[in-house]
Amino acid sequence: MTDTIRHRAAKVFRRNGAGWLLMLPGIILFGFFAWVPLLESIRLSLYNVQGITLQDFAGLSHYVSVFRHPDFVAAVRNTFSYTLWSLVIGFPVPIIMALIISELRRGKSLFKVGIYLPNIVPGMAMVLMFSFIFIPGETGVLNIIRDRLGAEPFGWLTNPKWTIPLIVMALTWKGAGATALLYIAGLQTIDSQLYDAAIIDGAGIGRRIFHVTLPGLYNLMRILLILQVISVFQILYEPLVMTNGGPNNASLSLMQLMFRYAFTDYNYSLASAVSVIICLMLIILTVLYMKMNKEQDA
Amino acid sequence: MKRTLSVLLMIACLTGFLFANGQKDSGAAKGATSIKLGIWPEDTLTGDIEMHKGYVKAFNEIYPDIKVIPAYYKYATDTYVPLAVSGKLPTIYETWFTEPQKIMKNGFARDITAELKELGWDKKMNESVRNLLSSDGKIYGVPRDAYALGLMINADLFKEAGLVDGDGLPLYPKTWDELAKTAVIIKEKTGAAGLCLLAKDNAGGWHFTNIAWGFGANFVVQKGNKWVGQLNSPESAAAFQYVSDLKWKYDVLTPNPTNEDWGTGFRAIGTGSAAMYIAAQDAVNQPTQVNGLPATSLAMAPVPAGPAGQFSLMGGTPYMFSKSATDEEVKAALKYLEIMGKAPVVSETGLAGLEADAKNRADEGIPVIPAFPAWTDKAYLKAQQDAIDAYINVDMRMFDSYYEKVSEESNLRTEEPVETQALYAELTKVLQSVMVDENADIPALLEMAQKNYQRILDDTVNK
Amino acid sequence: MKNTDSNLKGIIRDYDLNRWSVRIGYAAAYLLGILFLVICFFPLIWTMLSGFKEIKEFVLGTKILPEEMRLSSYFHTWETLSFARYYINSGVSVGGSVLCAVFFNGLLGFVLSRVRPAGHKVVYALVMWGLLIPATTSIVPLFLNILKLHLTESFLPLWLSMGANAFYTVLFKNFFDSLPKPLIESARIDGASEFRIFRSIAVPLSQAVIMVVVLYSINAAWSDFLLPFLLLQNTPLETVMVKLFSWMRGSKFNDVQIIRAIVFSIIPPITLFALFQKQITQVKLQAGIKG
Repeated sequence: MTDTIRHRAAKVFRRNGAGWLLMLPGIILFGFFAWVPLLESIRLSLYNVQGITLQDFAGLSHYVSVFRHPDFVAAVRNTFSYTLWSLVIGFPVPIIMALIISELRRGKSLFKVGIYLPNIVPGMAMVLMFSFIFIPGETGVLNIIRDRLGAEPFGWLTNPKWTIPLIVMALTWKGAGATALLYIAGLQTIDSQLYDAAIIDGAGIGRRIFHVTLPGLYNLMRILLILQVISVFQILYEPLVMTNGGPNNASLSLMQLMFRYAFTDYNYSLASAVSVIICLMLIILTVLYMKMNKEQDA
Repeated sequence: MKRTLSVLLMIACLTGFLFANGQKDSGAAKGATSIKLGIWPEDTLTGDIEMHKGYVKAFNEIYPDIKVIPAYYKYATDTYVPLAVSGKLPTIYETWFTEPQKIMKNGFARDITAELKELGWDKKMNESVRNLLSSDGKIYGVPRDAYALGLMINADLFKEAGLVDGDGLPLYPKTWDELAKTAVIIKEKTGAAGLCLLAKDNAGGWHFTNIAWGFGANFVVQKGNKWVGQLNSPESAAAFQYVSDLKWKYDVLTPNPTNEDWGTGFRAIGTGSAAMYIAAQDAVNQPTQVNGLPATSLAMAPVPAGPAGQFSLMGGTPYMFSKSATDEEVKAALKYLEIMGKAPVVSETGLAGLEADAKNRADEGIPVIPAFPAWTDKAYLKAQQDAIDAYINVDMRMFDSYYEKVSEESNLRTEEPVETQALYAELTKVLQSVMVDENADIPALLEMAQKNYQRILDDTVNK
Repeated sequence: MKNTDSNLKGIIRDYDLNRWSVRIGYAAAYLLGILFLVICFFPLIWTMLSGFKEIKEFVLGTKILPEEMRLSSYFHTWETLSFARYYINSGVSVGGSVLCAVFFNGLLGFVLSRVRPAGHKVVYALVMWGLLIPATTSIVPLFLNILKLHLTESFLPLWLSMGANAFYTVLFKNFFDSLPKPLIESARIDGASEFRIFRSIAVPLSQAVIMVVVLYSINAAWSDFLLPFLLLQNTPLETVMVKLFSWMRGSKFNDVQIIRAIVFSIIPPITLFALFQKQITQVKLQAGIKG
């Protein structure tokens, strides 16, 4: 009797031991690349740093400097503006794409492959490409097209009202197709009997979409929404390359502010303070969002 | 198959570690003095490399024990720290005029005061350049050359617009008002923009300070022991009104100044999409060698004068040294500069270096024009001039007015002294607003910029 | 491949098409779909065409099509930029990254799914948090740590960073969750070690998910920018993306040369996509629905 218990215990122990041993490489890597840096951001932001060595404890003074810096408010405002625009533009577009493409009876796979294509263009290449496409003046390609249509040349990214929406459009160009494929797959899981029932009730196409299709995608939409918010919140390359944050800070993002502190000013404490602020904002957003969802579900 | 996969992976990781360690060891093992030259030209510049090979030969004839290792390094803020921290910076490297103070503050710079004193070079350095490279009385760098801003001109466009005198020399504008008129003519006659004005990044603010000085603006002054910004002065507003007029009243700028930076400005001049651009004499290779303009089509005039006078912003492009370099290595690197003809010493090898440089420039289609003195040693300056004279490949009359003006010391000004980059950032923001909005409220924008800049001053230098 | 499927399941049913309004709407949907395709392709095609232009033609011209299709200008730029070197660097970086992505995430996913030692839930929760707060926000301390370990100028940190990808780990875990339990239990009874089970049973059964991770990580590693940029810029190991950014920022090369470089940087992923479009577009589905 005791023998079997011991035997079992040994087995469980062995399995735990082996399990942890096999997890170790993964844990080390995640620790080094994700978890430790996150905690270290907090520490760095609380100390003075010269070169790359920690000096004395600085309390919250770096946060005060960040808050007091004239560009901070602009960066926060813009970051929310990016997020908002991406909800207005980037969120519905893939849903519409999915609805349309999944209804097409011919060449569906061609459409699917076609809209996915931009997604495989590397981010840096995409950003550079669009900074050329958005060239203002009479010789920019978009203005050439406008000219053919009889319109005046437009300033594109140099028009502060349009800078962020245009950057979001470029982001959407790259991301929408891949997201649309997720929705198309989601559409396939909707029970067709629900449509049948709706049709029997005399629902037209519009009502079928609003009463069956969209509710069927609801869960997927919820997940993709928060993932999108999180990723757009960290926008960096686009303003960095396309506008350098301008004109007059119209597109400066929080991540870019962090990048400037760290890799232009060599001020790692201030950079880390910005990182921590971004993380806190993301955590608050996520928790609020989850709470909201829970209340809705209840 | 899967087994081989994991084995391969292990091997990959192991070799990776070994590799990383191996590198460290090889770095630690060194015997005789060797210097790594970050100032070595990039691989694609074969002409420049040949020239440096000649320098190395001359160097080794005098110092056979010192090994010269080419280590091309282009300073970049985002990758400087890794090199500085790991001690992998080349013994000597070139940086930008904006960087020395920051590098010194973070403790990455090598103090070379003792070495310079030994050679007596510390006294031969142009004073304002020396200040730029010093902190607490210690010197951390030497100038490659100094620069002074002027007005770069695409002479072909001036010709096309008929803006030339009897000798075919461009009739350059002497005041900002004239510049506006000249620009209008150019735009009318050639379709090209009159002026390329920068407003994309801090370089915009940098150029703008030079324009605004002419209108009488002084952006920061010391009152007691406090620094006080004056971005919202009427003079500064007048200067902004002027650039606003260039854009909206005269419409003579490139389509979108907020998209123009240091590099695109040279492209505009080089490809003929703009006729004038504020730039310094040390960048004449940009429109020509890089952007294809024939050397003879480039002219330089002084920065136009404003109601308050004519000013040219001057500074220096610095060489700095690796912190891990030994005294011997620093001295060797300084000697290499002497061979290049960049040191305030007149010697045979130094002259040969100057000549080789001039010849190379001529071969590459870069205008060969006098350097701007970063050293004050008279004999050296003369030697420098002599070396260039033989290779001059342009009509010096296209440059005379520029050199005349920048030799008047009272017209030269160095950058505003404190939190310069923050000042430029604020000015650039105002500039961007003015460039995208015809009805921008300049006084209000300046009020805001002043508030921002003063806050930065109070948080840093006035603390 | 079947091109027509009479729609018995979707929103619009065949008999709906008898109504004119629906027919018009359906045609409009097609047009819209085509418009989507045009928008997706246009920037890429424009970029490739612009690469044929001369610099003056590009800066001053007001035509979309190049005057002449000189392929030689592409070849010339390839030489000028010594692009082959960066292809090789990127290739090495991608190769190691793919191996790490499959091995480390696979192993962790396996343990989390099948071995489940005490406390695995904590680890899983931490991994899931990683999905929400990606590593870019804390790039500064990561960068400083790598500096302190003297691992700059090496591909190793890039390779290993791919081994810590929450998305792939979850993908693997979800896949292993679906493997038949008895298979693994019987191996365990036979006394096989856990690593052996992973290697000899789990891995051979997971060709499909491995394929997914391989394809994704190739694309991810090829496109990776921030960390390679900070660690490799100015070294002989610069990758294509790092170089692309430096060229853009430097003033040495003109616009058309940079545009050609962009085209070069897109060719490998496009080729990969052309070869594996089925797997790439399909698999995204599984991942998304489960994730």
